[in-house]
Amino acid sequence: MSKKVKHKISQRVMGRRTMLLGGGMLLVTSFLSGRLYQLQVAQNNRYKRLSDRNQFDQRVVAPQRGRLVDREMRLLAGNAESYMLHITPLYAGNVDEALAQLSTIIKLDEETRADVLARSRKGPSFRPILIRDSLTQRELSRLAIRSAYLPGVTFEKSLRRIYPQGALTGHVTGYVSPVTSREIEDNRALGELPDLATGKIGIEYALEPELRGVPGSERVEVNARGRPIRVFRDYEPQAGKDVRLALDIGLQQHVTEILRRGQSEPVDMATPEVQRAIADNKELKQHLSSGENMLLRDSIGKITAPESGAVVVMDVRTGEILSMVSSPTYDPNIFTERLLTRDWRRLNEHPRNPLLNRVTAGLYAPGSTFKMVVALAAIEAGIINERTRFGCSGSMDLGNATFHCWFEDGHGSVNVVQALERSCDVFFYEVALKTGIQRIKEMAYRLGLGFITGVDIPGEKSGIIPHHDWKLATHGVVWTPGETVVASIGQGYVLTTPLQLAVMTARLANGTKAVVPSLQALDTLPEFAPLDLSPAALRIVRKGMFDVTHGRLGTARAHNLSKGLGGMAGKTGTVQVKRITKEQREAGITKNIERPWKERDHALFVGYAPVKNPRYAVSVVVEHGGSGSSMAAPIAKEALRRALMTEDRA
Amino acid sequence: MTGDSISILRTVIRTPWHVLLLAGILVTVGSLALYSASEGSWSPWAGRHAVRGAVGAAIMLVLAFVDFRLLRIWAYPLYLASIAVLIVLLGLGAGGSSVARWISIGGFSFQPSEPTKIAVILALARYFDDQPPERLSSILTYLPPIVMIAVPFLLVVEQPDLGTALALVLGSLAIVFVAGIPWRYVLLSIVGVLSALPVLWSQLHPYQKARVMTFLNPEADKLGAGYQITQSKIALGSGGLFGKGFLMGSQSQLNYLPEKQTDFVFTMIGEEFGLVGNLFILGLYLLLIGAIIMISYRVGSRFARLTCVGVAIMIFIYVFVNVAMVTGLLPVVGAPLPLISYGGTAMLTVFVGLGVVTSAVVHDRPEPE
Repeated sequence: MSKKVKHKISQRVMGRRTMLLGGGMLLVTSFLSGRLYQLQVAQNNRYKRLSDRNQFDQRVVAPQRGRLVDREMRLLAGNAESYMLHITPLYAGNVDEALAQLSTIIKLDEETRADVLARSRKGPSFRPILIRDSLTQRELSRLAIRSAYLPGVTFEKSLRRIYPQGALTGHVTGYVSPVTSREIEDNRALGELPDLATGKIGIEYALEPELRGVPGSERVEVNARGRPIRVFRDYEPQAGKDVRLALDIGLQQHVTEILRRGQSEPVDMATPEVQRAIADNKELKQHLSSGENMLLRDSIGKITAPESGAVVVMDVRTGEILSMVSSPTYDPNIFTERLLTRDWRRLNEHPRNPLLNRVTAGLYAPGSTFKMVVALAAIEAGIINERTRFGCSGSMDLGNATFHCWFEDGHGSVNVVQALERSCDVFFYEVALKTGIQRIKEMAYRLGLGFITGVDIPGEKSGIIPHHDWKLATHGVVWTPGETVVASIGQGYVLTTPLQLAVMTARLANGTKAVVPSLQALDTLPEFAPLDLSPAALRIVRKGMFDVTHGRLGTARAHNLSKGLGGMAGKTGTVQVKRITKEQREAGITKNIERPWKERDHALFVGYAPVKNPRYAVSVVVEHGGSGSSMAAPIAKEALRRALMTEDRA
Repeated sequence: MTGDSISILRTVIRTPWHVLLLAGILVTVGSLALYSASEGSWSPWAGRHAVRGAVGAAIMLVLAFVDFRLLRIWAYPLYLASIAVLIVLLGLGAGGSSVARWISIGGFSFQPSEPTKIAVILALARYFDDQPPERLSSILTYLPPIVMIAVPFLLVVEQPDLGTALALVLGSLAIVFVAGIPWRYVLLSIVGVLSALPVLWSQLHPYQKARVMTFLNPEADKLGAGYQITQSKIALGSGGLFGKGFLMGSQSQLNYLPEKQTDFVFTMIGEEFGLVGNLFILGLYLLLIGAIIMISYRVGSRFARLTCVGVAIMIFIYVFVNVAMVTGLLPVVGAPLPLISYGGTAMLTVFVGLGVVTSAVVHDRPEPE
């Protein structure tokens, strides 16, 4: 045979073999097709039944969220059992009909019904749709009796976040609410837990990782009507950690009450006079509609809403925050379920923004409470000492401008202790001009102003301690001496939060350590950075603060703490919000209380007690409260008294 | 210059566009299935699958410009290189406890045992191309191929990836068969394989044994290893003739069905589109394989013919193992459905195979006699 012939033969063999192989493949494929026919057509009924029935539904189990308790282990945020109602369109058949039948058994508003119906048309029919997320006990038992007639309707236990103290701790705890689509985008695993609630603000947000815990998983065997028969737990969920807060709920309650009352008396809401006042006043109506249940009669007989502002009580040794009150407040419980538009609207229409945590995010000019900063800066720099005196004639001229002291007649010749005692402005104008804004800024920073404190509340503000570079960077113009003068009495650009003022006071009272605030209860004394204040300078400033409440001319001499509790030292502050206009003056209006609320001065007080070996520092801001000495000082005194009276923390 | 234009024109004219079209349809079907697998979303699978399909098609077309004679020259070096990669991989895996199946290059995970299939096909085709026809009847001629098949087989078994290893052997044997091995040797080797089975069994990893046992009796362990097969059969069976509808496969959508984006994608298609959908898919594969076999009759050299048949067999084995697995006819070995399952390596391998076929048909036509 020639080579060519052999080649041809082998080509033919290959062709035959390929054909054979192709035939084999066809045969195998028809065999596979037969198998598919057997499964999908011949045994279709059997597998359909298996598919519909007795299925193991793999589910993620939400962990129990860690609880929040106060320092005495009283519950601030816990979990209550609640029952959720679902409907599965696949088993329910006609969803509209099923909902109509349901609404004869339990409360179901039109909005929910329409919503569920719309969702049942969109998604796959085997996916359960949430109808209600908290059934009452009575609804539950009524449903249980009739459940046999309600195919596709299931209810199951879940845990709902509750805040037993409600509005009292609203700004501290914050709240949880259902996972948002934004959160799911950031963390896909959250999408597996449609009923999970996550912290949105406050401690709930700041400590979310600790509080949430780790989800578990289970398999649920479901019958043909979609009802769970058995549950197999594969992984137990791990509960989140409980967190003990430094807060003392008793103190919180007391402080809230005295802040809200201010210097006014609560009125009987039922009297015709009060009802008439409400009817005539839109603002009062708004307060009442957002849950307010108290109205006051002020010193000139007008019916008004409770005071707004902030109070912080801090342990000067540990930094623990025993009370953090921001008024007005809100009830976090309204957020845990589906938030009602009505509630949301009311919160937003409230004239005084109850969602703002004034303690950490409310910015106020510190006013005269800033004078300790100026005094310390000047003494440490050697600009003044205990004996340095300046004359106050009631005003000071600088260039073309005249800067007034709050006391028009002038304080005469005063030293630094007297200037603090009587809150002489002119003394601090003179001192500040010699000290310079840079040194004042440095001292403010050391005392904790101008930076966020880092407490476990999101959205904290840092405030502003102005200086040369800041002015140039933000305003594009240079700093002027006149601005140093204004800053020296804590006005102008200077802005602080009530929490920062409490930290400043705690550091002054502590004397050696740069105390940092903590909302969590502490078992051990934390390590603080040293404060490095000269003891001599500190002694002088403390003497001035002592005289504010003890001195013959002290601005808060009327509100000292009893000797038995060790007395209180502090500093008043009254911050002008708007000058009294010429027209008002001519109309005879000179008192704060006679002006519109929004134009009145802010009232501030910072203080600590006892005078020797201080335990607690306090800062008080009463928005448009009038004067620091008459409005803020008594609140501070009462807060410190209550804190010291509570034993067991000696 | 004109020579270049002519060669480009020739390439374009001779490129088997119907093969590319069929591959494109399969990738599209895959994207839609993956869209459903992620509950109606292009991420994370469907979008990337489509992009990979486009990249694969581009690779196939680039290969069309490679002179097929070059592939013949490179067949052995490519084979040795892929063996070397497998050995290196095994060495890396031996140190740690991780399974040595994957290699990571610039963020892409890569399974070298897949392209090994192409290298083995080319090497075997080259080998039989070199043999004068009269030597095909000598048994000595078949010793080198046995070594050429056994080495990669053992390396892949060691990884351990039994499914790929067996696919490799089956495909290789098909090439030997087509090359013209006498029938007496075919019978001999069947007897040989059967007697070697017990030895192979003792070499299996425990999890591989468990899979085989599970396959033999899936009902015994419904929630363990048999879970996948049981769920797959329920999903397929409940699909019926026409299926439950796109995105409506409750077994798949409720996550009863594991690996629905990779090995069990055929099951999901069966649940949502029924027997009709499944047969449609099988029909597409038959058309694709048939087209490649037709091409094998049109090309000239033995090398080209055997390569084409090898690629056709490779695709068929992928499909067969996968479908047999999800219908409970074979144990769960971890085999993708080519061009439809999510996973880059298998898709790339198939497209490279199609590219080699294209190169063969473009550059290796029979000389007129």
